[in-house]
Amino acid sequence: MTLTELRKKLDSHEIGAVELAQDYLKKIKERDAVINSYITVCEEEAIEMAKKAQGVIDRGEAKPLTGIPVSVKDNICTDGIRTTCASRMLEDFVPVYDATAVAKLKAENYVMLGKTNMDEFAMGGSSQTSYFGGPTNPYNTDCVTGGSSGGAAASVAAGLCAAALGSDTGGSVRQPSAFCGVTGLKPTYGTVSRWGLIAFASSLDQIGVVANSAEDTAYVLNTIYGYDENDATTSQKSMGDYTSMVGEDISKLKIGVPKEFFEGTDDEVREAVLKAADYYKHLGCEIVECSLPSLKYAVAAYYLISSAEAASNLSRFDGIKYGYRSNVGEDYNELIKNTRREGFGNEVKHRIMLGNYALCSGYYDAYYNNARRIRTQIRNEYSAIFEKCDVILTPTAPTTAYKIGEQENDPVKMYTADICTVTVNIAGLPAISTTCGYDKNGMPIGMSLTGKAFDEKTIVAVCDKFEKDFDRKECAL
Amino acid sequence: MFDEKLTAHMAELSKLSFTPEELTAMTKDMTDIIALMDTVCDFSPEIKPYALDAVDYEELRKDEYQDSYSTEKILENTENVKNNSFVVPKVV
Repeated sequence: MTLTELRKKLDSHEIGAVELAQDYLKKIKERDAVINSYITVCEEEAIEMAKKAQGVIDRGEAKPLTGIPVSVKDNICTDGIRTTCASRMLEDFVPVYDATAVAKLKAENYVMLGKTNMDEFAMGGSSQTSYFGGPTNPYNTDCVTGGSSGGAAASVAAGLCAAALGSDTGGSVRQPSAFCGVTGLKPTYGTVSRWGLIAFASSLDQIGVVANSAEDTAYVLNTIYGYDENDATTSQKSMGDYTSMVGEDISKLKIGVPKEFFEGTDDEVREAVLKAADYYKHLGCEIVECSLPSLKYAVAAYYLISSAEAASNLSRFDGIKYGYRSNVGEDYNELIKNTRREGFGNEVKHRIMLGNYALCSGYYDAYYNNARRIRTQIRNEYSAIFEKCDVILTPTAPTTAYKIGEQENDPVKMYTADICTVTVNIAGLPAISTTCGYDKNGMPIGMSLTGKAFDEKTIVAVCDKFEKDFDRKECAL
Repeated sequence: MFDEKLTAHMAELSKLSFTPEELTAMTKDMTDIIALMDTVCDFSPEIKPYALDAVDYEELRKDEYQDSYSTEKILENTENVKNNSFVVPKVV
């Protein structure tokens, strides 16, 4: 059921907000022991929020998300509800304030069902680095969900919420959405406030939405976007309704297909995405072959920039002011080192080490500065493509969801799997992933549509058109 | 090339400690990771490194006093509190 349909049922009193919340909480109890999409389920709080929402509905004052059950990724601060970042470091951390995105949902009396599982500090593409154990893919519980917003994507796919907030630094909303067969929208950098999003890489991080359709992601974005004086990088643009182009004629659009994104992808993925290109061609869209030559540098540039920023951002976790503190340490330095040794998982340590290495005086120019030059180059190459095209079509990931444990001890393999998503963050652009097929094992294949900066409306409309003609298969749960 | 000496130095800068076995494993991982990062060293065009352009410095909020959270609220997340302050290990 779409969010618009849910809204109608709530407003017409066909269903009640409390009954709806209870229904989702029941499903979480039944299914999440296997899926593990939630780190914290907020049963009491959800019922309280639903009661308040019902009062608002009864008074005829409902807003778009009043009474709608949503999950929130566990790196987004929620006042009074623990926010762990899936890390031992923040296992018992309870924020004293709401992230702006959450405050905006609360202002509409949404219902928060709980906090979703993820890769520790959002560093990973499988969600298996979670201190609380990784989630499993609702299409095949032997497979990963993708990451880092794996819990968000799995919670939507398994019907354990109506929509989810995630975060996307290098593909963390889009890739798990592709692996779990749902829709994930990463807005333009600066669209949604990062205030209260626990920082990973501040120049790349962006809160996004996972839902059952493109229209639903835009429906949630309508509520959470906007300027925030607590985040100087938020845009002051007034965007209006992100769903406003849904249903409009898209046949005059030009869709770019950059060849580099199809090199090294699985055959089934390539075929499914090119079939989607054919679908648009039959609608009348012009398919434009194009190129992003610097894609070959993108993964390394992304990891250098994001790790440098992460090394700085994560230096605040010292066990002194909040979070985990080691019992071992004779002096200040030893205590901090032991706290970080025991509090962080292996992948987080890789990123901190890499980031500090890239920022060292002897390596700074060769690594960090070159990565920043590549960032300029990639932005220029996207600008050149957008002079000829309206949107860009690519695979969301080179493969479908793989078996849990398959890539666990190979960081390089994990990093190179981000090839299809990182350039969007490097360039600060909006992109949306949706299902465009299934592999021979029935696992979803994702395609991405990337738009010009602040042109979410076009990619939502182009994605929506495909989704309405595509036969999406529900997972077997 | 990452060797154990360099790993230990980076660990010191990163405020991390490793057991000897962890140090060996981290050195291997970092060697592989840096080999991947070396890709950027092939990039030669002399173009300006990107600097974040999303902030409009003309439109920053006014630098003025605002009420913030109470001390009690801020201290809720630490178990080590004395005299309304964080307890920290002895530094000198």
